[in-house]
Amino acid sequence: MPLLEDPARLSKSRLKSDLLAHNVALPPANSRKDVYVELHLKHIEQKDAAEFSSDEEDRGQDEAEDEVVDGDDPGGRDPSALTDDGLKAALIQHGVKVGPIVASTRAVYEKKLRKLLESGGHDEQVNGEEGNAVLYSDSEDEEGSKGAKGEGDEHSEHSQQDMSQNNNFAYPQCFILSSKLRAPASETRKPCPAKNPKNALKSSERGPCHCSRIPAGISRASSVNQRSGLGSRVPNGLQPAKSIGCSSGSSQAFSITQMVEEMESRRSVSDTESNGSDVQELRSQPSRLLTVDQPAVKNQTLFYTPEAFPVKPGPKPPVEPVNGVSKDIFPAQASPTGIYATRRRPIKGAAGRPVQYVFPDTPSSPATLERREAERRLVPIHIQILVFLIVVILLYLVYVVVEDSSLDSAMSLLDSPNQASDVEEFHAPEAPAFSEQE
Amino acid sequence: MSSTSQKHKDFVAEPMGEKPVNALAGIGEVLGKRLEEKGFDKAYVVLGQFLVLKKDEELFRDWLKDTCGANVKQQGDCFGCLKEWCDAFL
Repeated sequence: MPLLEDPARLSKSRLKSDLLAHNVALPPANSRKDVYVELHLKHIEQKDAAEFSSDEEDRGQDEAEDEVVDGDDPGGRDPSALTDDGLKAALIQHGVKVGPIVASTRAVYEKKLRKLLESGGHDEQVNGEEGNAVLYSDSEDEEGSKGAKGEGDEHSEHSQQDMSQNNNFAYPQCFILSSKLRAPASETRKPCPAKNPKNALKSSERGPCHCSRIPAGISRASSVNQRSGLGSRVPNGLQPAKSIGCSSGSSQAFSITQMVEEMESRRSVSDTESNGSDVQELRSQPSRLLTVDQPAVKNQTLFYTPEAFPVKPGPKPPVEPVNGVSKDIFPAQASPTGIYATRRRPIKGAAGRPVQYVFPDTPSSPATLERREAERRLVPIHIQILVFLIVVILLYLVYVVVEDSSLDSAMSLLDSPNQASDVEEFHAPEAPAFSEQE
Repeated sequence: MSSTSQKHKDFVAEPMGEKPVNALAGIGEVLGKRLEEKGFDKAYVVLGQFLVLKKDEELFRDWLKDTCGANVKQQGDCFGCLKEWCDAFL
């Protein structure tokens, strides 16, 4: 492979064959060499950067003349290696609306797919590692103190149920809100046997119990949320081992064996659900490209085997339900882009605050405000009436006084205007006279 | 877009006919030259790309950026102008 060669030095025919080997749509026949070089750089160099297996490339070169690479496994390969149809299928699996993939649009779509793959892969990696650090101690503490024994079966059942609901994106959205509303009331209750919010999903009567946990551990729950969401989906993916790795965050909270059982049963269920499994499959694909990182994830998961933690009694996947909320809020964006990291924060901030503050605020809106204003007015009205009465009495007194001396005062009042008018009449003729004199 | 440029109005006002590529809003001399080098010499060629990308804003913006290095505002202007033209004349 001319991996290390400068494409600009290759001959045009060599470039052409390389492009064909990588199944890149060739530019028009009369294109300049620059076009080929550019395509070569764009497609083949990027493919190398993605650490494509050398086997694949060798084979591709052997089969240079016939475009053999078919879209049987779209998304698992570098976008530039796909055929137009494969690329289209991969994009559709990511939930992208695809137009015609032709020479001029292919680059755009490849870039898009690559972006999707990268963001998806990055997401998984980050989540898997984050989960190990954050969730592990928390969940173990809870389990140690609470020891919700005997609910194991129930929990696994519910968690399974939850996960399947997550897959369908049919999560009840109001859960978190209602739980938060109830949280203050239920905080005085006995510590709930099942602290993990995951169980809260299943029934409303258990809601308050779990909800009381949520306000306290909301930040933890939401931080874990994103990773566990991945975990719940990946199990349906292509590689079971990988899926364990991704879901290690949640699986650490309970025994892995049960997790595996869940996964298996879920896989059987969701193989029929093309929507869910499509997404899951795609989510696991980027990880295959990142071959270097994957072993690390696997190692981590191998470390958390049931033998390593034999003490854990009941499976208590801690934070599944919160995860469902995020998916519910953005149900359309099922694509495994890196959006999860940014989504989560708005939920923590925006979903948390309104519930806390709206509730106390609601009583004091319109009706009560009116009432209060009315009340505010009532007290002054008494004073006003008093003042009014006083004024009336004063007026009446004045009236009486005036009536007593009515004749005199009235006459004087009547006289004064007359006098004034007289004076005016007297002076009026004089004015012209003065003006004439002047 | 709250306000549109004169170029935008001019372009959207009539069928594009044989207008050059730099008649598009957001495409000035430099970008027009780059596009012409890539074979997009007429506005209708860019329109063709715009249409074949299914009028998708993100894809078109990406394409424009890759093709001629348009910045965000130029991408937005060009996209808005083609979109509006399509709404009016397609």
